[in-house]
Amino acid sequence: MNAIEMKNLTKTYGKNRGIHDITMSVEEGDIFGYLGPNGAGKSTSIRCLLGMITASCGQAYMLGTKVGRGQMAEILKRVGYMPSEAYFYPSMKAGEVIRYGAALRGMDCREEEERICRILEVDRNKKIRELSLGNRKKVSIVCALQHKPDLVILDEPTSGLDPLMQEAFFDLLMERNREGMTCFLSSHVLPEVKKYCRHVGILREGELVKVDTVENLTRTKLQALRKIKIYGTTRIPELEGVSQVVRWEDGIGFSYQGEMKILLRALQGLEVKDLLISEPSLEEVFIHFYG
Amino acid sequence: MKEISTKRIVSRKGRDMSLFWQEYKMNVKSMVIWALCVGGICVGCLLLYGSLEDSVSEMADVFANMGAFSEALGMDKVNIGTLEGYYAVEISILFSLGGAVYSAMLGAGLVAKEEEGKTYEFLNALPLSRGKILAEKFGAFVGLSFTFHGICVCLVLLGFAWMGSMPHMESFAKYHGAAFFMCLEIGTVCFLLSVICRKRPISAAVGIAMFLYMMDICSKVVPALDKLKYFTPFSYSNAADIFSGGNTDVWLREIGVGAAVFGIALCASFVVYQKKDLM
Repeated sequence: MNAIEMKNLTKTYGKNRGIHDITMSVEEGDIFGYLGPNGAGKSTSIRCLLGMITASCGQAYMLGTKVGRGQMAEILKRVGYMPSEAYFYPSMKAGEVIRYGAALRGMDCREEEERICRILEVDRNKKIRELSLGNRKKVSIVCALQHKPDLVILDEPTSGLDPLMQEAFFDLLMERNREGMTCFLSSHVLPEVKKYCRHVGILREGELVKVDTVENLTRTKLQALRKIKIYGTTRIPELEGVSQVVRWEDGIGFSYQGEMKILLRALQGLEVKDLLISEPSLEEVFIHFYG
Repeated sequence: MKEISTKRIVSRKGRDMSLFWQEYKMNVKSMVIWALCVGGICVGCLLLYGSLEDSVSEMADVFANMGAFSEALGMDKVNIGTLEGYYAVEISILFSLGGAVYSAMLGAGLVAKEEEGKTYEFLNALPLSRGKILAEKFGAFVGLSFTFHGICVCLVLLGFAWMGSMPHMESFAKYHGAAFFMCLEIGTVCFLLSVICRKRPISAAVGIAMFLYMMDICSKVVPALDKLKYFTPFSYSNAADIFSGGNTDVWLREIGVGAAVFGIALCASFVVYQKKDLM
């Protein structure tokens, strides 16, 4: 069964762009990275899934149930959500917010709350208004995970977290994922997506331009795209498919999309001291899709 | 996946009005401050009556002959030479206006504050239907308004007791019941406004309360605008009319219109909130 399914999902805000005709699915147990720059439509898609906004057309399903106002309460029992901006009631203490979230779910999550708070070093006695963005994010993580959801939706989860906390957070996610939890992770931090996600969807100006495994995206699909570094010459070989040229004192670097034998033929006659050919990183794939 | 679902943490007491109590708790401090201010002013004015008692009879004669102004304030119906009359004409206006402004501000803040403070993402990602969210928020509004009126009524009764003259209790209860409903009506209209707006419409809410009060004055002063009395809740909660045992049929009709406005505003709040995009 798919944990998330979007079928021709479209949301328009008058003349403004939202998302257009998104069709994709996330399998149960997957860690799915939803990539795109600011304004690409990541948060709009997530809000459609959570029923906060109504899609102009198309359907969405979460954990096998069609998303709709009447079904949201039932669906959200099994879902955790961490918004990109962690806002809570400023006059409440962090611990009060966490317990309030559990109480509204009708659950006793004290054991799990205790464990996550210990891992993330959450100070539950501080008022929300006294907390930095990073510390509010930690509270948000506890609220999203304390009830052991089957699906967690994370909107830019690591912004504001220091590197150690990012590591602790992903360890927590991986642990839960091994137990069967599905993760849907919206981000524009490519290294973390490459490190932790199995599948990636790339969003551009409200449209889904690619869904594939991280492995395929960096190897198969763009197998013709290679990062080339040549030492010993600063002359660019005369051939098609060369882009993103960088020169330094005794060499050049460029991206090449084309057949390898044509490249090797073009290099003949040049004073090549050393040649490095590497696969594109996820960043380069991302840049490729965004021209 | 199924296994995890069955290992779900055991439910405590069900989702037991936590939202209602949290809203109540978050607003209780300002409610107590408002109640002490409004109730305190009413008690202060009651206690002032002792020092005014000698001259108040002369004032009553003067006020009773001020034509439309006297009618607007109800001084043609009750005698402000008595403590009860003084309460019905002078003090009740302070109470009604204070209560109306408080209810309007309370109603206007309850829903819009979530979008203004961006806390709607926290609340709406929880397994609560929008109907339940709104019902508990409205419940908190009614609860807070009731407590506000309770505190004020207790303070006013203490003031009467201190002065050694209790009001006619049936009229007193009828007035405060009507004033409570008036506050609910205005607050519910502002609650609807709060559902529609993305930022707390506090200024608009206070404006609505003041505008309705002005409508009441106009309906009493200008004969051509007499029908306005059906559209302002200050009309059926006019203490001078109630203490003087005014026309019951008209009063019931005014209450009926008020109940209709209350019902329509409440239903509209639920309909709008169900369809609203939160962002």
